Amino acid sequence: MTPPHLSVQRLTKRFGSHAVLDGLSLDVSPGRLVVLVGPSGCGKTTLLRVIAGLDLMDAGEVWIAGRQVGAAGRMLVPPNQRQIGFVFQDLALWPHMTVEQQLDFVLASGGIPTAARRARTQAVLALARIEPLARRHPHELSGGEQQRAALARALVGRPQLLLMDEPFSSLDAELRGAVRADFRRLQREAQVTTVFVTHDRDDAAALADEVIEMRDGRLTGSTLAATREGPP
Amino acid sequence: MWHWRSSRTLIIGTAMLVFGLCSLLPSLYVLVTALADVDGLSAMLLDARQRRLLSTTAAVGLGAMAVAAAAGVPLGAILARSSLPARGAIRAGLTAPVLLPPYIVALAWTYLAGHSGWMSGLPAVAIVLGLVLYPIPMLAAEVAIRGVDARLEEAGLLVATRSHVVRRITLPLVAPQILAASLVVFVLAISDFAVPGLLGVRVYTTEVFTAFAALYDFPRAMVLALPLLLLCVGVGSTASMVMHAAPTVGRRVTRGSSLLNIPNLAAGVAVVLVGAAAIALPGAVLVNEASGVRSWSGVVEGSAAAIWNSLLLAGVGATLVVMVAVVIGYAAARIGARAARMVDTLLITVFGIPSTIVGVGLIALWNRPGPAGSIYGTETMLVLGYVARYLPVAALVMAAAMRHVPVSHEEAAAVSGAGWLRSAWCVVLPQIRLAMAATWILTFILAFGELGVSLLVAPPGESTLPIRVYTLIANAPSSQVAALALLQAATILIPVALLGTLAASRWSEP
Repeated sequence: MTPPHLSVQRLTKRFGSHAVLDGLSLDVSPGRLVVLVGPSGCGKTTLLRVIAGLDLMDAGEVWIAGRQVGAAGRMLVPPNQRQIGFVFQDLALWPHMTVEQQLDFVLASGGIPTAARRARTQAVLALARIEPLARRHPHELSGGEQQRAALARALVGRPQLLLMDEPFSSLDAELRGAVRADFRRLQREAQVTTVFVTHDRDDAAALADEVIEMRDGRLTGSTLAATREGPP
Repeated sequence: MWHWRSSRTLIIGTAMLVFGLCSLLPSLYVLVTALADVDGLSAMLLDARQRRLLSTTAAVGLGAMAVAAAAGVPLGAILARSSLPARGAIRAGLTAPVLLPPYIVALAWTYLAGHSGWMSGLPAVAIVLGLVLYPIPMLAAEVAIRGVDARLEEAGLLVATRSHVVRRITLPLVAPQILAASLVVFVLAISDFAVPGLLGVRVYTTEVFTAFAALYDFPRAMVLALPLLLLCVGVGSTASMVMHAAPTVGRRVTRGSSLLNIPNLAAGVAVVLVGAAAIALPGAVLVNEASGVRSWSGVVEGSAAAIWNSLLLAGVGATLVVMVAVVIGYAAARIGARAARMVDTLLITVFGIPSTIVGVGLIALWNRPGPAGSIYGTETMLVLGYVARYLPVAALVMAAAMRHVPVSHEEAAAVSGAGWLRSAWCVVLPQIRLAMAATWILTFILAFGELGVSLLVAPPGESTLPIRVYTLIANAPSSQVAALALLQAATILIPVALLGTLAASRWSEP
């Protein structure tokens, strides 16, 4: 059996006396796309933030690619060294940078030489089908284009784990379908292990290798997507 | 090993240390020393003269607050709810008085009154300070009125008259912000030293200055500073609490109801009246007075050293203030909401501490043997004074700007592999560069016109333009003083007008 690429063990996170995540455990195999579905306030976003190292946990462990990155109250590996791609709910595109500059920033932070950065940026822009938008700022992009730019930024550094926090929530139904298909294609091509949280069951049905229900800080059930291929 | 957080801790810690040493410690030193002087304190409390000082000081504050609110609040409403043309330019013009040192406006009014003497005493101080500080309630009222959701007013207009809706719905919603701004005016008015000094009214700031600079009675200066310090701290913290307690009425969807717009004729009359009293008349008086000067080049040459000193020191001070304020603003913006409110309250309170108290505190701390003494007696003291006085307000502005940069932008940088320094430099600072530039200009203007601390801590023989103008008032022809005052006003207002025009043209580009 393949060891999990992401492993979360007995994770508890409290805000005051309220346990937002309550002894939650989750394993994700390499290359899989797991969708966490649950109502607002059930702890989905908090789980992603703890995995990314943006919040500390009160109890439990987080392992990525066989390396323990987080323990109770301690940050064993800081976020910038976890090799994670994160698409935020508000996308968090930096307003003063063009699409190209956003991607370059990620690569430069990884110490990649200029020539290689340029090549990789172009490749990912092409992959996301946003090459003509490379010189545009976020406010010059439509909603769908912003989604693609955010996804390109998350993928350009070849992350070992992709985390997506309800990234399609602001799109209308028609655009949502198109962006969903693009995202699924990109995720498959990049073969990146992905945790995608949403409260939209259509997103889950359209994207997931596995759908996991979440409620009150716990995982309550799991469904494997029957019609999709297994992990690459 | 964890550089992401350790570099942040180091930089924020250093900024906090600078804030503590420069802005907090001098006033704390005055407070503790005054409280420790039990004999002096008990003697002062029994003194009828002290009680008179307290009532005069409070009357100056209340009078200035009333004048500023009476002039500023209607103008704020006009800017928010009228269709006057060129409202941006009107706003910029009406804001000009608060950028000028108050004693320049006071000087103009004394020239206008001539020898008749009607421009003196407590009412004159309140009127002058009110006409200088009215832009604060004006801007607060405009922002608050713009923030009122039209649906709230329209729901009232369905069942009540317009005046009833204004009185019962609009005003209660905007009252906390206006009250808070008025309390800030109160603190700034009782902190002012130059205007009461010029118009012959004895208040705490002038008494502290006299005790220290004329009578060389340092313990008395410390004890005299205590009531003023407590009053400023009390009112400043109340202002901050009122501001934070303002009702939240939900997300604003549309601008206020057009049914409540102010007619252009009434709006125009109000703008002309206040503009004439606060800007045109004092300006015209100074120009008229300065026309008697024989040689402008002689005036400039005679004060060249002071002008250059002021420009240089204000520039250095503003740069240091912005560098530290950015970091404090960042920290204030990234802590929890309750802690942020406490930090805001602290910053507003410290900003309200009068310059004479800050000056006395700085002297007490630095005028001593050893390394501190080698700094005392140099121009560095003036820069320290600027940092002490203006770091709190600069940090408040920077914190407000930082709160507009979503945390997720930094988090996106962090998960993209950037350390904190790189994230701050490449992601956060570029987004607040306009606010940084505006804060630098604001601090430069305030430092350029600073008088209270400068008079106390300036080394012998060194002079800044405000010190020179203030000392020349009693010793030089009025034409020369008016010319220098105009020069000082122009040095402040011309760059601001140019930058304002530049910014307006840039923002109006498609």
